[in-house]
Amino acid sequence: MTYRHLLPDEIDELLDGQVGFGVAPLEAHIQECDSCRAQIEAGRRVVDAIEHLPRLAPSPLFAERVMGKVDVYEPWHVAARDTAAGWVTRLTPRSRPMRVAAGAAGLSIAAVLSVACVWLGSHLDALFFVGTIVRARLRDTLLEQLGAAVSAIFGPQSVGALRAGGPALLFAILATIAVLIVAAGLAVRLAVAAPGRTRRSGTS
Amino acid sequence: MPDPLFDLPNLPDADVVVLAQQGREAAYRELIRRYERPVFSLVYRMVRDRETAEELAQDTFVKALNNIDRYSPEFKLSSWLFKIANNLAIDQLRKARLPTVSLSGAPDAATAAEIEATSFEVANHEPSALQALEAREIGSAIERAIAKLRPEYRSCIIMRHVEGRSYEEIATTLDLPLGTVKTYIHRARNELRTALEGVDDG
Repeated sequence: MTYRHLLPDEIDELLDGQVGFGVAPLEAHIQECDSCRAQIEAGRRVVDAIEHLPRLAPSPLFAERVMGKVDVYEPWHVAARDTAAGWVTRLTPRSRPMRVAAGAAGLSIAAVLSVACVWLGSHLDALFFVGTIVRARLRDTLLEQLGAAVSAIFGPQSVGALRAGGPALLFAILATIAVLIVAAGLAVRLAVAAPGRTRRSGTS
Repeated sequence: MPDPLFDLPNLPDADVVVLAQQGREAAYRELIRRYERPVFSLVYRMVRDRETAEELAQDTFVKALNNIDRYSPEFKLSSWLFKIANNLAIDQLRKARLPTVSLSGAPDAATAAEIEATSFEVANHEPSALQALEAREIGSAIERAIAKLRPEYRSCIIMRHVEGRSYEEIATTLDLPLGTVKTYIHRARNELRTALEGVDDG
């Protein structure tokens, strides 16, 4: 037993219901000391009264009022996922036979594509040959169109200058065009496309 | 995989917050449902005015939910809400000294209908009539005594004994040193004990 009155911290320890080897002597002391016991009992009455205070309810429309002022922010990837899920739901047939038919059609398409991929994989030399022809045709067409565009904008002499500049000049022009397209895309995204959707309750 | 939105009431706060961050309106509503009473109770006991408390509690949720994407999960959601609510209440108390309103009706309520309209819904406790009467008396006395405490003592003692928060959580929530929180709670208990002595004697 402790032969002095309890200190404020010790009274708080008891009121907070703390446990440990240091608490037992304090408990023993209040069994013997009327003054400290009275303090603890009064403290416990206070704590008990506060702990029994009810939680008060706001008005029934509280949540609606809050939601009316809250902007529900939906990130773009969630919006995209929801849209995709919506399309899947919409496109999935409702009747079981139709779903089976759609599944069979999907499997057939997948099987045909798989066979085509395997066949193409076993004929790589033919693929390479065809690819070379297509690439040459595309390059010729591109240069022709570019020459026509340059000729139309800057006059026929500029086509000669372009030819004289060779692939380096062509690459520089294409790179400039690509940078301009990317910059325009970014500007449009910043100005128009918000990153996600924002809505308020009741407006969605 | 089952949609987590169907199981919202059973999800922990952190998961509901993640759903709210994905823009799920139902998750926003679930967070409001969970904390509207604790937040409103804290704010009301701070400002002692129902209308103001309702506005401040609303502002608390609007501020928190509009910044839900910035919420950091290492901080407890309830602590974050209490922090915002307490700061708003303290700001309000600094702006104006508000009159006290009884739990059983506004002071200017003249008719029974007005008293009923301005009374609070008190939930959960279903004791006997005598116990209810005694509890109401001591409840009113303790409410009045809490209203007379300094605002800093008030928020500490409410969080400790109404919300059951630890000293450390209160210190974090209110941005106070741990020792200061202990001192405030000790002094608040002493002041409340003195205030209740008269009631007990009567």
